[in-house]
Amino acid sequence: MTTRDLVLAALFAAIIVALGLVPPIMLGFIPVPITAQSLGVMLAGVILGARRGGFAVLLVLLLVAIGLPVLSGGRGGLATFASPTAGYLVGWFFAAVVTGYCSERFVDRSQAGIVQITGFFLAALLGGVVVDHALGIFYLAYITGTGLATAFIGDLSFVPGDVLKAMIAALAGRAVMVGYPLLPHRA
Amino acid sequence: MDIRFEQAEARFEGRTVVQPLTLSLTERRIGVIGLNGSGKTTFARMINGLVLPAAGLVTVNGFDTVKDGDKVRGQAGFIFQNPQNQIILPILKEDIALGLKSRKLSKAETDDAIDAVLARFGIAHLGERRAHELSGGELQLAALASVLVTRPDILIMDEPTNQLDLRNRGLVERTIHGLDENVIVISHDLGLIADFDRVLCFHEGRLADDGAPAEVIARYRELAA
Amino acid sequence: MKTLYVEGDTFLHRLSPRTKLLGLAVVSLVLFLIHSPAILSVAAALGGIVYASLRLGWRQSWLRLRPILLTIVVVALFTLVFNGWHDALIVVTRLTALAVFAAAVTATTSTGDFIDEITRLAMPLERLGLVRAADIGLSIGLVIRFVPEILGRYQAIRDAHRARGLKVRPLTLAVPLIILTLKNADEIAAAIDARGVRAQK
Repeated sequence: MTTRDLVLAALFAAIIVALGLVPPIMLGFIPVPITAQSLGVMLAGVILGARRGGFAVLLVLLLVAIGLPVLSGGRGGLATFASPTAGYLVGWFFAAVVTGYCSERFVDRSQAGIVQITGFFLAALLGGVVVDHALGIFYLAYITGTGLATAFIGDLSFVPGDVLKAMIAALAGRAVMVGYPLLPHRA
Repeated sequence: MDIRFEQAEARFEGRTVVQPLTLSLTERRIGVIGLNGSGKTTFARMINGLVLPAAGLVTVNGFDTVKDGDKVRGQAGFIFQNPQNQIILPILKEDIALGLKSRKLSKAETDDAIDAVLARFGIAHLGERRAHELSGGELQLAALASVLVTRPDILIMDEPTNQLDLRNRGLVERTIHGLDENVIVISHDLGLIADFDRVLCFHEGRLADDGAPAEVIARYRELAA
Repeated sequence: MKTLYVEGDTFLHRLSPRTKLLGLAVVSLVLFLIHSPAILSVAAALGGIVYASLRLGWRQSWLRLRPILLTIVVVALFTLVFNGWHDALIVVTRLTALAVFAAAVTATTSTGDFIDEITRLAMPLERLGLVRAADIGLSIGLVIRFVPEILGRYQAIRDAHRARGLKVRPLTLAVPLIILTLKNADEIAAAIDARGVRAQK
């Protein structure tokens, strides 16, 4: 990894941490506050790609592990990984890598805006929703012994919010690509 | 100090930003001026090996910037425009220690070196402070300390007073004039370099003028008008 | 940024970070092998005693564990509804035990010690050419260094919205925040390289 890649990943990790410290932001069209940290994970993949995005999220998890209260609500420390919902947290890493990998495959700078946004949306959906929720559900089902189907039902209420975040990540990813392109392209 | 450029040129994204240049620098204090985009920052970065020549050769005290990058960086320290981006670690002392890491010093030797360099710039009281709490002037002094702790022979500064208020500008100016090291200063602040030993003026990627400060600055004022 | 480490001189403080991390790994393995609510309760009580011996004070002890204990309770209720009280009891006791042991390690190990330990653990990976071990400490430092700068930038962008009478929206906030932050990467990277912090090959 070049020094620039290292710095980009570290800065993005800092953005994800900062997003956990700011108050939740209201969306315009529905009265739901958005907690921005998991949005930050999708953004890391969409903007930096698989390698640097994955490293950025890994850094955040490392900060949690070494006892810094960097998750929203001031959560942190090794106990966080003992939570029944730890699958979602660890899933962030895979979410960023998959989102990043798909973004590199689906999107390049020569495409029309709407194609780029669709590509980013699908990438964020696959990584940030499918992969992250799958890992979360598996761990929750394992820990509680209730079976995958029940864990899946418990999970469903969080899906609409995360789909919305994937949409925001797609729009933001496209806007950053126009303003300051960083995403590598994978043929 | 002995810096040589031999037909060295720099390209960026297919464009030549510094035309082939042959030059020898030995004076203790050298100023570099020129309009925005004239190539002066790229020229300065070539000395420290941050920008490698696409053709030709750059040597610093006998070390080739391409082959001996690490040794060149040991000889020539670099201070960037924005002091905000130069302090890398959260606490000032930690940041200064970073540059000493490759020296394999003992804990006591490292602490002594840090205390000495902080005292030299009158910022001993800032050692334990967090970088984001420091003012622009304090950050610029901190950046000087973090670079000079490794005792480079040459210090290159890219517009060191650019983002500072009047008081901090005065503080940094006095500090620069008091340095024992060889200094190369890029600046739009013509007063800062007026009493230097030599001034280079870049224009459109070429060394357009080179000589005593008074004359070079006078001709630069005509060019810019 | 305040860490969750607390200065002190208890038995756990004196243990090496490696021993504590290995110990925690062993404890978590054992906890998952046990299926008796009675034994798991004893384990949770033991963990509670270790945690209490750190003398963080009632308020601190509770504040640190509150978010995770709440999650455990919610998930236990969920288990109770679908699987009955036996499984629910296992979930509560097992996860509470794990949480208190983990919180005890966190409270007694400084971030510096953690970083040194992680760097040592990464040495074999460095030999394989996967990472540079020293980069880990450097990157963690960079993150902590730049969080306050980013929060400052966030305030500035929010103020700019207000000054122009615009509503603050995730997109209009996140996009400039990200671009302004990442644009510094070139200069920060140059500052690192210019100081020869990461030896070039």
